[in-house]
Amino acid sequence: MALNPPSPTPSIFSLRKKSSQTPVSAASYLSALSHMDAMARSRGSTPSSTPALSFSSSATGSSGDSSVCDDFDDSDGLSTPSKPPTSEQVFTTVHAEFGHCADERYRYESQCKPGDSYDALEMDPPYRILLTTYLSYLLLIIIGHVRDFMGKLFRPETYKHLKSEGGYAPLNSDFDSFYTRRLKKRLDDAFSRPVTGVPGRTIMLLDRESKDNHTTFQFTGTRTRTLNISSYNYLGFAQARGGCADAVEEGMNRYGVAACGPRLEGGNLDLHLQCESLVARFIGHEAALITSMGFATNSTTIPALVSKGCLVISDELNHASIRFGVRLSGAQVRMFKHNDMNSLEQLLREVISQGQPKTHRPWKKILIIVEGLYSMEGTLVNLPAIMELKKRYKFHLFIDEAHSIGALGPHGRGVADYFGVNPRDIDILMGTFTKSFGASGGYISGSKVLVDRLRVRGHAGAYAEATSPAVLTQIMASMASIMGVANPVSSSSTSGALVVADPTAYPGAAPTQLIPTWFNLPASLSSGLEGLERLRRLAFNARYLSRGLSKLGFIVYGHPASPIVPMLIFNPGKLHIFSRLMVERKTPVSVVVVGYPATPLVTSRARFCVSASHTKEDMDVVLRACEEIGDILDLKHGSPERWSVDEVIERAVELVETEV
Amino acid sequence: MSTTEATLQHVAAFLAYALAAAEDVFFKIPGSHVVARYVKSSHQNDPGRSVLELILIIFAIRTLLQSRTRADNSGKNFVKYTEQEIDELVDEWTPEPLAQPLDPMEQAELDSLPVIQGATGPKPKLASSGKTVLNLASYNFAGLAGNEVIKERAVETLRKYGLGSCGPPGFYGTIDVHMSLERDIADFLGTESSILYSQDFATISSVIPAFCKRGDIIVADRGVNFAIQKGLQISRSTIRWYDHNDYKSLEEVLQGVEKERKKKRLPLTRRFIITEGIFANDGSLLDLPKVIELKFKYKFRLLLDESFSFGTVGRTGRGLTELYNVPATDVDMIVGSVANSLASCGGFCAGSKVVVDHQRINGTSFVFSAAMPAALAVSASEGINILRDAPSIMTTLQENVRAVRAVLDRVDCVIIPSHPASPVIHLQVKPIPTTSLAPPSASSPPPLKKSLPNSVQPYNPQSFDIIEEERLLQQVVDEALAQGVLITRAKHLRGQELIEPRPSIRLAITTGLSKKDCEKAANVVKAAFIKVLSKRR
Repeated sequence: MALNPPSPTPSIFSLRKKSSQTPVSAASYLSALSHMDAMARSRGSTPSSTPALSFSSSATGSSGDSSVCDDFDDSDGLSTPSKPPTSEQVFTTVHAEFGHCADERYRYESQCKPGDSYDALEMDPPYRILLTTYLSYLLLIIIGHVRDFMGKLFRPETYKHLKSEGGYAPLNSDFDSFYTRRLKKRLDDAFSRPVTGVPGRTIMLLDRESKDNHTTFQFTGTRTRTLNISSYNYLGFAQARGGCADAVEEGMNRYGVAACGPRLEGGNLDLHLQCESLVARFIGHEAALITSMGFATNSTTIPALVSKGCLVISDELNHASIRFGVRLSGAQVRMFKHNDMNSLEQLLREVISQGQPKTHRPWKKILIIVEGLYSMEGTLVNLPAIMELKKRYKFHLFIDEAHSIGALGPHGRGVADYFGVNPRDIDILMGTFTKSFGASGGYISGSKVLVDRLRVRGHAGAYAEATSPAVLTQIMASMASIMGVANPVSSSSTSGALVVADPTAYPGAAPTQLIPTWFNLPASLSSGLEGLERLRRLAFNARYLSRGLSKLGFIVYGHPASPIVPMLIFNPGKLHIFSRLMVERKTPVSVVVVGYPATPLVTSRARFCVSASHTKEDMDVVLRACEEIGDILDLKHGSPERWSVDEVIERAVELVETEV
Repeated sequence: MSTTEATLQHVAAFLAYALAAAEDVFFKIPGSHVVARYVKSSHQNDPGRSVLELILIIFAIRTLLQSRTRADNSGKNFVKYTEQEIDELVDEWTPEPLAQPLDPMEQAELDSLPVIQGATGPKPKLASSGKTVLNLASYNFAGLAGNEVIKERAVETLRKYGLGSCGPPGFYGTIDVHMSLERDIADFLGTESSILYSQDFATISSVIPAFCKRGDIIVADRGVNFAIQKGLQISRSTIRWYDHNDYKSLEEVLQGVEKERKKKRLPLTRRFIITEGIFANDGSLLDLPKVIELKFKYKFRLLLDESFSFGTVGRTGRGLTELYNVPATDVDMIVGSVANSLASCGGFCAGSKVVVDHQRINGTSFVFSAAMPAALAVSASEGINILRDAPSIMTTLQENVRAVRAVLDRVDCVIIPSHPASPVIHLQVKPIPTTSLAPPSASSPPPLKKSLPNSVQPYNPQSFDIIEEERLLQQVVDEALAQGVLITRAKHLRGQELIEPRPSIRLAITTGLSKKDCEKAANVVKAAFIKVLSKRR
């Protein structure tokens, strides 16, 4: 402990002030910063500093060798809990990875209650904001073009790569890269920040600075532990300690790290089959197929589902991987307005009645592709309405649950579980293991006929590497701990193969025969209790942050149940300042900011990804940070009925539990 | 009467007030005075002009407001139906089922898929029989699967980083170990920089469209693998094909492209040659110096897929550039696999800094996908270290390849299109020489005909009976498995490849097996071939 150099956190302000690059409005930024600094110092008490004593009383101490705990400055409440645990409370997780939160009030169930209004309120900002946003883009474009023009004239060597040279056309035309060079580069400080360690409740940033306006970055050699409200770690399975990590270690020792080859060409392990059965069982479908990359799950299977003569109807905000797959398939595509069921129905009536263009032949298949939870908007698919339409119009339905699987529903089974829809009524469910399960890759599930067809027709089976066994163990361990493992006595009466096909068991526990015998899950995991706690903590945190931010006066998009909480910032110039200010607080918070082209031009936003690993205090930290920075940057344009931040924190439980 | 008058007055007063307020607000907008002055003066000079301007503005607004994905119901092809008719059509429509059940052959293929129980490696155990077999199917060229040092490092990393990266590289998914692997790959190959993708198949199909857009020209080999074909499809570029590994044909196509551009006076667009180091579909080797010469001569950029040559050829496994002693910087983009020889997962693209940085924003599957797990990145770094420190690995690999080839080259009923140095060996069935003249053999091509660069089909497509050959090869695979050697047919998506590759058995030679084992395995394969093929007809 003593050998470790002191953490850089206390000196961050003085260190960074001179190094931060803010081409937009340096003066206002500096004043904001000093204001912030003063506030942070005067407050002091919020994440109350704890003596290092609490270390020894919780399990945190057992992981002293982990990189997680190599800075013991806990005044920011990141490495050690702000409230020391009592003697009855035993925490098995590392606080920096998975927060200690024993208070049972801070739990909620993620489920669609009858009478829940589906439509989220979308608030419009004042015209002043819209106008300044448009103006700032206009200004950026004008300045960018002027700089390009002048630069090409006076400093041709810096623009060499944009011009034809020696008979080669430029690799990157100046028109195509204009946005990247002239806008994104200004914000680059907020993107692709290198990290180290576990992307759990907290994450360690490698500090960097740029002396040449973000053309290059140099590492300063220091590191900052930040509260991580940006990784896709919904259920908090990004852990280097605990039952899942133990299982993965055992898996690595037994299986090595790779499967060496595509599934159909000698890369087919027993672990793949076991994992697929477990996934199918988890989803509530007959069979499932696993791919080694989430993006490729869509891009390599959609071409095997539809082809020429088929129609894909796609939500306008669908993910790039879906568009990639559809484009490869050769099917026709039509889009409907995001989540607009009337637009969808109208479109369906039109395409079915018109048939294929020119020939008017009926479509062979119509496949509707939607996402369960939209990663930029935080909106949920209106599943009940789509299921109604499905009965009437007979289309096939493909739901991409990349973000919703694990994160929604009382049993973590995704949108179907959340809305209480039988998953077997949905033709195809796709999802990834990156987000909720702390692994990587993706799955496709459906009927056995369908999945077998995809095994032989999907591109991944014949050409792409099979999933690594280490990843498979993580998937199985985390999934089993959400499901809970069935008591071997009761499950021995049913035969192994039939269990998977038994629909009545959904959403049941994982049968023991689907878990490899060498798995030694601790009781807290195999009972499913910890999994349930994770689900309930996530549901609480998500609702609390979403509602809390609205109450503070921010414009927040998306469904309150969504663990993705987008908070609108609008002006592009505020994006990276917001991100910077969050990182430079006393308790640093790392956030994701996104602007055009990932979002529409005006609605640049900060996107918070809530996790089960966060404690209620962590949400308080985020709320306080947003409150203060929101005042500085003038971000509060939402509802006029506002609460003070203290009131929000005080009445958190009430806020979460009231139905709106 | 009076009440209406009063209300009218009320309305008029309100209107006047609203107008004044609107004016007030309008003049508060910065720059509004300029607009007002302009409108006033233009109206004074020519009242007709302000009307025209107004119409123009309205038209502009209308155009802007029209949705971009407007329904295609204005065309003459659109048939108007009443609501009732639509209802009937909806009731009538019956879609095809989403997936057809597998036919018996496909089912048999799926059922016959060997399942490896426990760790894979040179001698894995099969789940079906519980027997240990010699593995010539899995990609484990450098024998790194199951390497204890790698495992140890992977576990260490797991305990420090957890497993998943939980985010795309742009959003806190760039872990320091990714950066060091990127540096390791770049240093190993001798390029400026490199970028990691999290699956090898998704790498090149994403790299191609990152650079090649509509209007750009790609000259590609007719034998390129499926991933490249998909990349070409996504890119929407103009594609010209040259005959597989035929450099005369390549030169002609390159000349043709330049000629066409000059003739039509087209602007200079980006031009690429895309080919593979060791071809996945037949194991043949590229003559890199020749291609580099042509590329410089005709000013094309070269995108080289080294998925199977990285980590398998060259003194220390640096791939084709090391084999031919060509500086890697002469190849603009080297795409390779981290999964095949390094026995980890993912793929990379190495090149200059400009090339790599461009992909960090434009490589679709880089931007929109989670970064690879830290433990796997560290495994790959460790793999590179091992390759670098132990050139004996590559020597052993080549010895094993030679041992296997020595046995198989002497089998009469087999064609081996693969290069003698390639650790990927494809074995095809030699057709029975028939007395009829029917199939024109490759040895006497019609002299005057040439393939058209615009079409992917060559002038002399090989003719073969896919179903029959696959059936025979599957029998060989089954026979070899019964004798304790795991091999596999090269699996292809029939009907989806641009040119159907000839059915083959694909062997992947590994250093993990001793020379004796390799010879033994090769003899088993040989015996299986002879046994199965002697029975036909």
